[in-house]
Amino acid sequence: MKRISLAHIKADCKGKVVEISAGTNLQNKLMNLGVYKGKEIRKLSHIGLQGPVVIKVGRSILALGHSLAVKVMLEQE
Amino acid sequence: MIKRIYLIGNPNVGKSVVFSRLTGVQVISSNYPGTTVELSKGYLSLGGEKIEVVDLPGTYSLESTSKAEEVAVSLLKEYSKNEIAVLNILDSTNLERNLLLTLQLIEAGFPVIACLNMCDDAAHRGVHLDIKKLEGILGIPVISTCAITGVGIKQLIERIPEASPAHRNKISHEELWKEIGRVIDQVQRLEHRHHSIREILEDASVRPFTGVLMATGVIYVSFKIVRFTGEMIINKMADPLFINFYQPLLERLSSSWQEKGFWFHLLIGDLLNQKIDFKQSLGVLTTAPYIEFGMVLPYVISFYFILSLLEDIGYLPRLAILLDNLLHRLGLHGYAIIPVLLGFGCNVPGILATRVLESKRERFIASTIISIGVPCVPLQAMIFGLLGKFGGFYVAGVYLVLLILVVILGLILNRVLTGYSPEFLLEIPPYRFPSLRMLWQKLYFRIRGFLIEAAPVVLIGVAAINILIYFNLFDIISGVFAPVIHNLFGLPKEAIIALVIGFLRKDVAVGMLMPLGLSAKQLFIAATLLAISFPCIAAFIVLWKELGWKYLIKSTLIMAAVSVIVGATLNFLILH
Repeated sequence: MKRISLAHIKADCKGKVVEISAGTNLQNKLMNLGVYKGKEIRKLSHIGLQGPVVIKVGRSILALGHSLAVKVMLEQE
Repeated sequence: MIKRIYLIGNPNVGKSVVFSRLTGVQVISSNYPGTTVELSKGYLSLGGEKIEVVDLPGTYSLESTSKAEEVAVSLLKEYSKNEIAVLNILDSTNLERNLLLTLQLIEAGFPVIACLNMCDDAAHRGVHLDIKKLEGILGIPVISTCAITGVGIKQLIERIPEASPAHRNKISHEELWKEIGRVIDQVQRLEHRHHSIREILEDASVRPFTGVLMATGVIYVSFKIVRFTGEMIINKMADPLFINFYQPLLERLSSSWQEKGFWFHLLIGDLLNQKIDFKQSLGVLTTAPYIEFGMVLPYVISFYFILSLLEDIGYLPRLAILLDNLLHRLGLHGYAIIPVLLGFGCNVPGILATRVLESKRERFIASTIISIGVPCVPLQAMIFGLLGKFGGFYVAGVYLVLLILVVILGLILNRVLTGYSPEFLLEIPPYRFPSLRMLWQKLYFRIRGFLIEAAPVVLIGVAAINILIYFNLFDIISGVFAPVIHNLFGLPKEAIIALVIGFLRKDVAVGMLMPLGLSAKQLFIAATLLAISFPCIAAFIVLWKELGWKYLIKSTLIMAAVSVIVGATLNFLILH
């Protein structure tokens, strides 16, 4: 088990969300889209070095800005 | 007694299509979140009663996290709960995420009906839902529909009176998600399928290398199709109609005209070699309809065809994530590309669509960039029509200048303006096969909107110019501005007419330049100036409404300064 941020995990890897160190509003927004503590998500791609991160959660595909992706910590098997 | 029906649901689940089906009111729908930024209202006859139906902006949950969501949630509280029915529209292909709002609505005590939309797409993707079981678990009526084809709509209307509050205890978000997981396990069965071409393309468009490759291809092909279709309509339809049918009619009228006084001047305009010239006569019956129907309308049709197609397929949000990096430097995020693209059609819907951006700062930057650096279709059509004959180099030059301007302006505004730019978070919709019927409806809707707004203004504009010219009033204005226009921009003093008229409508303004016999350089400068100087009156009013007068003044000052600097720079840089 290792902790790694969504921005740093490799594309096409899965991980379980363990922490979202963002403000309440952002946490709620992610929560409403199905991204919350304990949820397993898969990173699809990363557009450029500082670009957005594309993830798959449930049946939805979401794009998170780089600065937001840094705040989402995952636990990888 | 139900007094009002609300349509509520996550963004991009087809609320607007259901709304159109229920009320017959045509509204624009697209395959991306946030198409509906304004409320639409219509009426539905139910048991002989006319009930108001309100289409709310998309919301993921009842705790509002954005402006559009706030509007949706506050409206729900306008009537007491026994006087309304809440029609919760869900995306059948993504039930899990959609159920959060449904459970919250039931918890809050609203009389809810769930409408599982896009059932055909779910079947295509191998998603099978047990509707009866879901009805039992939720305790509310659940109807499966496909609004685009109309399947299930009749049943939906029949069951609206069944709406009544169900009982649920309030639980936390985490518990809600856990419960949703259990519900999904019971009602949803996923058929295992191999990846379809659609899914492979969906995936490729959000990866860095293949994504950029696809984006380049899509933009190039779109541009080619817009040009090709536009020119085809002009050469094969518009021009033959004007020259073979309309012109002989006008020639007869003109030759039987006895006294060629004020009215002749107003309606027909000047004759060239005793003949009417649609591009140069400047009459209300000659040049005005030719500009609108012969030069601009063909491109309006071709542009909106491609834009509507891209919207319905669901490509635009993918473009947004690819451009996010770049737009970040200009103080925007990727989603700003959608208002910008709409602005290329007409600045007014473009500026309105900046509502999808969260902060005032972003909206100000995006609106200013749209009004300065994004030329609308009518203006572009005229630029192509006029500058094209000097070669593609000049046309490309106008776009290049505008692009450079947008980048510089964005970089500066991003530095200077205070305030925050929120984090980028966007749901990427799946690709959907556009329904031809919907596409046609949307195209018709947009073209009709264009004609209603543009045609009268063009006629009045050309009439006003003719009156001013006839009574020599423009000489006074051009006398005052001649030194600026001539010395700074290298344009003849008559060009001031065009710049002034540009405030009314850009296409007419370029039309004013046609009889002046300008050189390629002069035309290039004038066209660029028309693009960056004040937006037309309609866009101006929207800017004021959306941003308030303080921001409008800021935006206007920036435009004036930029116009003078760019005009003068181009004049001194280009030697011939």
